[in-house]
Amino acid sequence: MIIAPTENILQILVVLVLATAAIIITKRDIRSLIKTYALQSLLLAVMALVLFVVTGSLTLLCLAAIILVSKVWIIPLFMGQVYKKLNIKRDTQFHFLSPITALFVSIFIILFVYLSFSTLLSELSRFNPNLFFLGATVGVSILFMGMIVIFSRKQTLTNIVGYLTMENGVVLFSLSLTELPLLIEFLIILDLIMLTLIATILAFGIDSTIEEFHAQLNPFAYSKDGKSQKTLEDER
Amino acid sequence: MNIFLLLVYGVVNLVFVVLVSPLFISLIKKVKARAQRRQGPPILQTYRNLVKLLKKETVYSENSSWIMRATPLVNLAAILTASLFVPLLVVPEPTDLIGNIILFLYLLALAKFFMALAGLDAGSVFGGMGSSREMAILALFEPVIIVVFAALAFAYKTVNIPDIFRGALASNVLVNPVMILIAASIFIVIIVESARIPVDNPETHLELTMVHEAMILEQSGKNLAMLELSSAMKQTLLMGVLINTLIPWGLATDFSAPAILFSLALFLVKAVVLAVAIGLFESSCAKYRLFRLPGLFAFALFLSIITLIIEVFA
Repeated sequence: MIIAPTENILQILVVLVLATAAIIITKRDIRSLIKTYALQSLLLAVMALVLFVVTGSLTLLCLAAIILVSKVWIIPLFMGQVYKKLNIKRDTQFHFLSPITALFVSIFIILFVYLSFSTLLSELSRFNPNLFFLGATVGVSILFMGMIVIFSRKQTLTNIVGYLTMENGVVLFSLSLTELPLLIEFLIILDLIMLTLIATILAFGIDSTIEEFHAQLNPFAYSKDGKSQKTLEDER
Repeated sequence: MNIFLLLVYGVVNLVFVVLVSPLFISLIKKVKARAQRRQGPPILQTYRNLVKLLKKETVYSENSSWIMRATPLVNLAAILTASLFVPLLVVPEPTDLIGNIILFLYLLALAKFFMALAGLDAGSVFGGMGSSREMAILALFEPVIIVVFAALAFAYKTVNIPDIFRGALASNVLVNPVMILIAASIFIVIIVESARIPVDNPETHLELTMVHEAMILEQSGKNLAMLELSSAMKQTLLMGVLINTLIPWGLATDFSAPAILFSLALFLVKAVVLAVAIGLFESSCAKYRLFRLPGLFAFALFLSIITLIIEVFA
């Protein structure tokens, strides 16, 4: 089978997007998390551009431009500023899953998505079943991997990156399966920017993790070492 | 395939590996030094060190046994045999005689096993420490290596390394997308196998961090030269596997002199780029705590299992 160079490039991009998602799951340094997110978005933008060259649909060009401006430039810039002011360098606390376990769980997620899509997608794809099958499964897998990031990390900034990764998964899925109308894409991205804005502002107030924020909100319910009034009473 | 060509292949490959391996070691040192704004040792320094060591007398501890004497020879022999398995310049016709990937891995493991034994043999505290650390790390990493190479074998449906390179050459795409995943895994394998920074520190003799250096601390003279040469060769072989699977363009398939020379020049360029990349990677990260190492290994495992999934179901 002879594969056109553009398709080869698309496949490489999809695979690289998956690798960046794996890096986001394992990294602890928040700045490199933000940079990896920017890189992932850049890969998606390049993918949209290559698809534009192949299909000639203007929507894809607009999408590439929107991704480039919003997700490669504005959102990482904004989060980088918040990161500088927050004075938290690394995210070393985890709920439920350590990064290594999260990687193994995501292997199973990818396997599951692959198996469940293999019966479903063969008729839906546009011009090359193989390529778009890969893109769609990787997209949905990244969606789940972003979810893992959200529930396994404690720092709010990392949670935001996880949310953004989920959204990237949706974009990859929609790129490789069907073409969403530009209006919807645009609204999603607008939503995303607003959400990042609000979430990072909240992150200022929260300052580190949700648990500590809870302690700050209820100064009387908690003693200084973080125990609640009730446990203190119990100890007495 | 005719025996004469096979002989030519063996001689070319062996001589090339032996001659070129120290170059990459000093190149990586140079890149790291430049990253720290130092001048760094000259490119030929590793060759000079080897020549100097070969002239020196070999000293054995009173408590050491035959293992100490055999280890450098076993090491060198295992790695030289393994170097016949990885065609760097010219791919021979498919034969069953050479190139089994599993035997290749076991030869590398044999060399490491004897090195760890020699570390224990002299009875020095440092050697034993180094050996136990190396074995602890390898117990975690060996399964990962197997899975990485299994993914490589699965991608090309063969366990013969020359056949894998042939398959990589024959594929009509610029870069096989799956190969990127495997290449990233093999990169991690190179880092771990050649005892580089996130895992081990090749420059230090500090008790807290050394692993590989601690094992060869008791070696001297010719034996040390043999051990250093064999670990340099091991690194070159793994770099060769990475280069000739990811970007095999220009690898010679016939035994004409121009083709081999062209392939040599191209390989040197690619390997220099890879060595610079390794040096930059090493400069860009700090040594990991022992308990964070599984994270690095799991990443390599993740990428190669993804490869397997894609290869099986796509």
